[in-house]
Amino acid sequence: MEALTKKKKKTVPTSANSFFLLQKSEVYSVEIYGTKELEKTEAGGGDEKYKDIKGKKKKKAEELKKELDLEDHKLSASELEGKYGTNINKGLSSARAAELLARDGLNSLTPPKATPEIVKFLKQMVGGFSILLWVGAVFSWISSGIQIAQGADSPFDNLYLGVVLALVVILTGIFAYYQEAKSTNIMASFSKMVPQQALVIRDGEKKELPAEQLVVGDIVEIKGGDRIPADIRLIAAQGCKVDNSSLTGESEPQPRSCEFTHDNPLETRNIAFYSTTCVEGTATGVVINTGDRTVIGRIASLASGVGNEKTPIAIEIEHFVYLVAGVAVSIGVLFFIISVSMRYKILDSIIFLIGIIVANVPEGLLATVTVSLSLTAKRMAKKNCLVKNLEAVETLGSTSIICSDKTGTLTQNRMTVAHLWFDNQIYSADTSEDQTTQPFDQSSPTWTALSKIVALCNRAEFRPGQEGIPIMKRVVVGDASETALLKFSEVLLGDVMSIRAQNKKVAEIPFNSTNKFQLSIHETDDANDKCYLLVMKGAPERILERCSTIMINGKEEPLDSEKAEAFQTAYMELGGMGERVLGFCHLYLPENEFPDTYSFDTDAMNFPTSNLCFVGLLSMIDPPRSTVPDAVSKCRSAGIKVIMVTGDHPITAKAIARSVGIISATSETVEDIAKRLNIPVERVNRREATAAVVNGMELKDMSLQELDEILCNHSEIVFARTSPQQKLIIVEGCQRQGAVVAVTGDGVNDSPALKKADIGIAMGIAGSDAAKNAADMVLLDDNFASIVTGVEEGRLIFDNLKKTIAYTLTKNIAELCPFLIYIIASIPLPIGTITILFIDLGTDIIPSVALAYEKAESDIMNRRPRNKQKDRLVNQQLAVYSYLQIGIMQSVGAFVTYFTVYAEQGFLPLTLLGVRVDWENSAINDFEDSYGQQWTKYQRTYLQWTGYTAFFVSITIQQVADLIIRKTRRNSIFQQGLFRNKVIWVGIFSQIGIALILTYGLGHVTALNFTPLRFQYWFVAVPFAVLIWVYDEVRKLLIRRYPGSWWDKNMYY
Amino acid sequence: MARDKEKRSCGQVLAEWRAFLWDPRTRQFLGRTGTSWGLILLFYLVFYGFLAGLFALTMWVMLQSVDPHVPKYQDRLLTPGLMIRPRAEGLDVTFNVSQSHTWLPYVQALHQFLEPYNDSLQAARNAPCVPGRYNEQPDDAVPNYPKRACRFNRSALGACSGLGHAGADWDYGYGSGRPCVLVKVNRVINFFPGRNKSINVICMAKVNYTQPVVAVRFSNASANVEHHIECRLQAEGLRTDDDRDKFAGRVAFRLRINRD
Repeated sequence: MEALTKKKKKTVPTSANSFFLLQKSEVYSVEIYGTKELEKTEAGGGDEKYKDIKGKKKKKAEELKKELDLEDHKLSASELEGKYGTNINKGLSSARAAELLARDGLNSLTPPKATPEIVKFLKQMVGGFSILLWVGAVFSWISSGIQIAQGADSPFDNLYLGVVLALVVILTGIFAYYQEAKSTNIMASFSKMVPQQALVIRDGEKKELPAEQLVVGDIVEIKGGDRIPADIRLIAAQGCKVDNSSLTGESEPQPRSCEFTHDNPLETRNIAFYSTTCVEGTATGVVINTGDRTVIGRIASLASGVGNEKTPIAIEIEHFVYLVAGVAVSIGVLFFIISVSMRYKILDSIIFLIGIIVANVPEGLLATVTVSLSLTAKRMAKKNCLVKNLEAVETLGSTSIICSDKTGTLTQNRMTVAHLWFDNQIYSADTSEDQTTQPFDQSSPTWTALSKIVALCNRAEFRPGQEGIPIMKRVVVGDASETALLKFSEVLLGDVMSIRAQNKKVAEIPFNSTNKFQLSIHETDDANDKCYLLVMKGAPERILERCSTIMINGKEEPLDSEKAEAFQTAYMELGGMGERVLGFCHLYLPENEFPDTYSFDTDAMNFPTSNLCFVGLLSMIDPPRSTVPDAVSKCRSAGIKVIMVTGDHPITAKAIARSVGIISATSETVEDIAKRLNIPVERVNRREATAAVVNGMELKDMSLQELDEILCNHSEIVFARTSPQQKLIIVEGCQRQGAVVAVTGDGVNDSPALKKADIGIAMGIAGSDAAKNAADMVLLDDNFASIVTGVEEGRLIFDNLKKTIAYTLTKNIAELCPFLIYIIASIPLPIGTITILFIDLGTDIIPSVALAYEKAESDIMNRRPRNKQKDRLVNQQLAVYSYLQIGIMQSVGAFVTYFTVYAEQGFLPLTLLGVRVDWENSAINDFEDSYGQQWTKYQRTYLQWTGYTAFFVSITIQQVADLIIRKTRRNSIFQQGLFRNKVIWVGIFSQIGIALILTYGLGHVTALNFTPLRFQYWFVAVPFAVLIWVYDEVRKLLIRRYPGSWWDKNMYY
Repeated sequence: MARDKEKRSCGQVLAEWRAFLWDPRTRQFLGRTGTSWGLILLFYLVFYGFLAGLFALTMWVMLQSVDPHVPKYQDRLLTPGLMIRPRAEGLDVTFNVSQSHTWLPYVQALHQFLEPYNDSLQAARNAPCVPGRYNEQPDDAVPNYPKRACRFNRSALGACSGLGHAGADWDYGYGSGRPCVLVKVNRVINFFPGRNKSINVICMAKVNYTQPVVAVRFSNASANVEHHIECRLQAEGLRTDDDRDKFAGRVAFRLRINRD
């Protein structure tokens, strides 16, 4: 607590500074969804905004600082009554309360301001390729306007095309919006909580009110187990303790009373804070702050100012969009210039431009990516990772550092007895999650005595009505240590409650910080034995002080220095393991001095509290979850650094880190080396130490360079005794190393770090709402192992998105080439714009989603996380291989079909060259083919549509081959298994099915430009499809055969 | 990441680009060394050479399967199209009798069109046919060249033949306000209309085939009025009512003779 005070005072300016730093980046990285954003490019405007935010932020931080100077804790009860116009016994009047409620608003935290739905929707409409398509649509409308003005024959074709393009944009936009909304809704329903009730005195009566209704000046009563409903100045308290972990991160309960103990409002005992929990005792207090004006509210509102970083996948998709858009625009402009210089009319050139844009843009791809991501998100949700932001699915895969909390994430978040010491021997206890027995030797009579003390000297109780539930899962009323002891003895002795009933308690001194022990006196269960049993537990050294004998093998022996030495050794050893150690002793009160009528007085202490008999030690720890060590080692082999960041004591932190493998068995810290070599810490070569345990105190005095050095030089790091602000500094430090950082957290105080992280992971069970709001992902089971599953899924989806994009890009060349050749060689148009849209948004959609179901080619958890700068989603090799190799092959195959269709109808290939102008002239109705036959305009147009259909069918057939080859990037298809991914086959059948429906079902709807096609034309491109497959197998074979070769470098994407 | 980008100044970006364009240290042009470029160009040369060869091969195979005289499919040409001569803009024959420059282009176009129909040329190239019968010249496995089509003598057009001298029918009647318009049927190979009855358009040979034409003379069309004329083929089994194709077996045009 001391540390925190200093921290608070000191860090307000610095944290304001770091917030402002974050804010700066926010200006430039507008939150997007897989799209490029409209940047505010004018530097001046940006600067102004930046200054503005700077000013606002500073003011906000100042405000926080100022308002933290609460004076209420210094006031007396009557001064408080005066200040808030209330009465300590009667409370506020209902009328006054209503007045205040109207003035101050509800007592709840304002949820972070959400982007208005309409803005989200519009973002989908203008992001990514949509701009290009809008340009295409506008061009279509312009050219159709010109055509109408010129009175051309079919001016509406372009009008329709424009409408279709606009529809495509709007529909894909709606789809993306819907997908996003769906994943947001999961969260919304998740975060909804049961409304909290508060016991308030108003109009002199006690009332249960929803906590939202509280106003300043209300008198509230709280008791153990309650959440504090507002910031409260206590005016009466009995044994009240609060858990401030949601505020400070320290889970040690702190006493609360009505005395003013400290100048700092955060330190003083007479203030309890909103959203913290009352662990035990009761208290009454005056509400002094509500809603966003509470301390927690102010922290939360600061956190909401921290900007989200752009996710790695968003950056990758943006990169990809730029790449494709760049290709589209440059080819479009190039051919616009070519066609103008070839003396095409400007209007025609514009129409060509539209065709090129439509052919180049993979219209369905972004929707496909969204679906693939949400499929993965669904899969992850099944494994207890709830993803709030779809893109976070992949972020987890590229994570290179995980900053993990200790409590609850790595550990089970419950104290459990880990070791026992009696009869001069240390015994280990089972600490697993579902223990039902204990393996250690329980035959010694000392154990019988010890177990009796453990069971009796304990105030914790099971909530009634939990008989069917496994002991370890039962809810207990009591603090963590006592709960641990209760469960421990329940497992070993059976029904503890009945044991206590048989050994009736006659007197008790509860634990307090001055005594550091707990004592109770019981009747014994032996009906013949009338003497009382005094049992005591507490801090081992204090207990030992009060003992003169020690029980060894059931016999009391005098406590000589040798035995005291043995005690010390055991105590140090257990303490060194980071465990909380308790000593136990007892005394049978002589019957003659204390007859059964004796009245024990705990205030006067009319019974002996020294010369007791020492029985044993029990040490407790919050043990690691059993799945965590395995998960940590998986992270290690996946090249992910796991850093523990905890508010706990360094020794405890280090012990847990060792037991879960965050600090591996062979590595040492500087201190370990010093101890081993018996030299001072300063003389140890720091490079030799692979592990480091950094105390929050040290961290506070460190410069950023020193922190960077630690993060760089040590592979195994534990930060202990850290404050939430320091967590943020650590995250920033990791990000400075170029790492993608995942951060886990549960408290309100974690939310800035969760936001700052590349992926914030909140705990579903222990997490506060603020943490869940700030996070990108929620772990439903609070289990570190689930993160590892998430990493695996994230990596897989990255690989599979690569495949999806490669698949989708390929056919764009087969769609583009027709236009280019049409312009240059003036042949009849081989494929229409509408037909292209039917490929992009029809036949290709299901197959590209199917690739998301592909299994990993090798163990993806055995390679390093991808390098953000080097391992791009769409790299040069992918683009070149798809565009210039497979894409060209597809085009050749499709052109063969096209020429075949025309030749068999009478137009031999050579006749087709240069015919465009006459072919498209509707006044020429006796156009001669190679045989001298004459064609009317409509007859030619129909033939052209047949050509479209043939081209379309050829692309579809070859896309089947493309789909199959994209299943793997390195392995042979036969290694991967052709039939293992059933969804691929659904994709293939859907593709062919849709093509059949379009050709034969809708072949008579002229607006769609499809015609029924002779059956044999379906097979013209088959040899080329086979060629694609064979070629790709050869490519993969050479890659596998000659790793690192020229071929590997140029052909592996 | 966004914040990394901010730090790069314009000059740095430019320098990076220049280094990408030509890096003197590694001797790389656009990120590749000379050898690397050589290899990649060689690869694509071979790759595209192979594809071009493959394309040529498949096209050759395809063309082998195509008959040089009769197209494989004629399902699109079930009803031959009908056209008129002179081919006026928008099928709108409009002229002023007293202003010869309005109709002289039509006359010239008709002269040019009827050139191959001259009696002398027809006699040299084509054979006389029996009316009312298809003139078939089956190959019977041995191609018989040259094939001879039916004669269609220009003189058969009578007053519309344009054979008269100036002042007579030389101008196809345009100068006198009684213009001729020729209606012709699009040529379709192996087209047997009317099943040997009524009108016969029989065309078998290739080289010197001249399409049969029908001349329509508007002897007493009223002047200064727009006439809408539609001609149709009439033969058994011939549909001339396709909604989408306005030229299948029919032709519609406008005629307007202006007189001052």
